[in-house]
Amino acid sequence: MRGIVKSLATTMSTFIRGPVTRGYPSKHRELPERDRAFPLLLWDKDIDEPFCTGCHACERACPVECMTVLMKDNPSHESQDGNSKRRKIVDEFWIDYGRCMRCNICVEVCNFEAIAMNNTWSGHETSVYDRSDLVMDLPQLMAQSKSDEIQEWVAD
Amino acid sequence: MSNGIYGIEIAWLDAVIRLHIIVGLMTVVVMGLIYVERKILARFQQRLGPTRTGPAGLLQSVADGLKLVGKEDLRPRNADPWTFELAPYMVFIPVFLGFVIVPFAFGMQVRILELGLIYFVATSSLGIIGWVMAGWGSDNRYAMIGGMRAAAQGISYELPLVLSLISVAMVSESYNLNDIVLSQSTYPNLLWQPLVLVIFIIAGLAELNRTPFDIPVGESEVVGGPFVEYSGIRWSFFFLAEYAALFIMGLIFAAVFMGGWAWPLGEELGRGWQILLVTIKTSLFIFLVFWIRASVPRLRIDQLMSFSWKILLPLAFLQVLINGAVLVYEAPLWILTITGMLGIVVLVRLIERAVRPQPVTNESTVSIGNESVS
Repeated sequence: MRGIVKSLATTMSTFIRGPVTRGYPSKHRELPERDRAFPLLLWDKDIDEPFCTGCHACERACPVECMTVLMKDNPSHESQDGNSKRRKIVDEFWIDYGRCMRCNICVEVCNFEAIAMNNTWSGHETSVYDRSDLVMDLPQLMAQSKSDEIQEWVAD
Repeated sequence: MSNGIYGIEIAWLDAVIRLHIIVGLMTVVVMGLIYVERKILARFQQRLGPTRTGPAGLLQSVADGLKLVGKEDLRPRNADPWTFELAPYMVFIPVFLGFVIVPFAFGMQVRILELGLIYFVATSSLGIIGWVMAGWGSDNRYAMIGGMRAAAQGISYELPLVLSLISVAMVSESYNLNDIVLSQSTYPNLLWQPLVLVIFIIAGLAELNRTPFDIPVGESEVVGGPFVEYSGIRWSFFFLAEYAALFIMGLIFAAVFMGGWAWPLGEELGRGWQILLVTIKTSLFIFLVFWIRASVPRLRIDQLMSFSWKILLPLAFLQVLINGAVLVYEAPLWILTITGMLGIVVLVRLIERAVRPQPVTNESTVSIGNESVS
């Protein structure tokens, strides 16, 4: 009898507390600042070019070899009458999100703080119909940083 | 009611109109109840319940109904054709007949019957035949066991239910539901009959085959019991009957114990207020049923039977006897309140004694050291 009363009280307390369901696809929970999704390249707004110099440090450090980097001479370097101090700059950059295991090593080895882990929902909801669509090129990797979508912690 | 509805005096036309109103009301109420049950039960389990079909999942019952109507009407090859196909109607019609007497407001019922309560009990117990038919006709062991359980449970719990209603009728001095409601315009019957109220709720749960008394359809034991072979429209008939029976039981609860439309604001109220009062009281009962369903696990069949015959029935008889003594010697009615409260205490003590864990005896244990394996 005591058990029956207790169970009734328990269910009533859950009834009052209300649902704990997160309406995930329609409602997005706020992500923590240090949430770690896939790596992104950052955009230097002062000079209007990427931070990345294409130095291959991340490519060499990557344990799953998901990156491909190409380097070129910077057309807007001071010697070419530009305003940039970067002699070399990234030409092409691919990251295969299908292979990336989000280990954060590329971020740690980067000498120019040019790469960061995405901390927004766009880094988690990357479903595509074809596996080759997961290979991101330079404009795709830059887009988030250019439009200020990523949060403060990464941008610093 | 002597004069017809909408001033129509032709008897058969009047009957047809009332029939259609009841059918429409019943369908809408059942669909609403299924939706409300899913939502309330979900909240008890901290879920959301249906949200996708229509705004806040309101069209869930419509979608379910369409799906059930669209399903193939299967009949097992070995099933008894007549028994199998008539069983849903045998469950449904008695429930439908129950709508004849329930009072929605003053002068709002199909017919006022002098023996309304007896009529209600008689029709509601007829449904057991349908359950047994479904169990027998399906030619399936699970269905057979479920049907037998339904019969055993239905017959056992019919008695406390009848006795509890009779005790109320003694206090109200009428079997006519309209008179019972009218007699409660100052004090509702639950004040004089608290023990009977508890017995009515327990026996009512068993009559409706709802948790914790849903052993005939126990999904974990007999996989749906008598319904195991049914699909589509016939299966939905069973569920229509189940939820309509729940609604009727709620209305009877409101009328017999809570004073229906007459209490607590008197019988001079407008019809809208009366309907609102009855709706609130009915909802209270239905919410209680859902609450208990969310909280209490299913009983075993032997516990179920002994609870009915050894605890509920003697207590209900005792209440009838005390009622008789108090009414014959014209003692004040508050004596009934006190005895009813004492009765509830006794009931609680008896349940506690019944569910006390039994000490494990030595004979049943296995002791290999002494080679006395029993």
